[in-house]
Amino acid sequence: MADFNSSFDMPSASSSESAEAAELQRLIAVEQQKAQFQAQVHNFMDVCWDKCMDKPSSKLDSRTETCLVNCVERFIDTTLTITNRFTQMVQKGAH
Amino acid sequence: MDQKTFLSENAEAAELQRLIAVEQQKAQFQAQVHNFTDVCWDKCMDKPSSKLDSRTETCLVSCLERFIDTTLTITNRFTQMVQKGAH
Repeated sequence: MADFNSSFDMPSASSSESAEAAELQRLIAVEQQKAQFQAQVHNFMDVCWDKCMDKPSSKLDSRTETCLVNCVERFIDTTLTITNRFTQMVQKGAH
Repeated sequence: MDQKTFLSENAEAAELQRLIAVEQQKAQFQAQVHNFTDVCWDKCMDKPSSKLDSRTETCLVSCLERFIDTTLTITNRFTQMVQKGAH
């Protein structure tokens, strides 16, 4: 993990400040990506838990596990189907 | 500020506004797709299988179109009610 404290202690020449700013931007971008990934997992979890989990039992059986895998893939297919169709409608000036 | 600086700053501001409007449109479109997906996933998807069969796909397309029709129907009727001073 980058050591932020020491690099902000002393004011320095502008080229190293730019390098620090660029590094900070890069680190922020990485954190944003991680947060986006987590949010996406959480969304899939909500959707697929409702679809695939009936009464929770004492273990995650293979039928439920298969359903969960299918669920994520079919949800993405569904999103693409709707995106494509809605895009067509918008382009045709949907009424 | 000379006129050249003034004009080029205005042009930049206008371009920035245009870019913001484009991003807002994209975000609105995405939000709308997300909403439709939530609604139509619940209506059309029973237990997810290993592929998206044509019956489900047909259901999704119908769902999208009927949801928009439904929204229009309700919008029109409710507009009438409000305009007539609904009680």
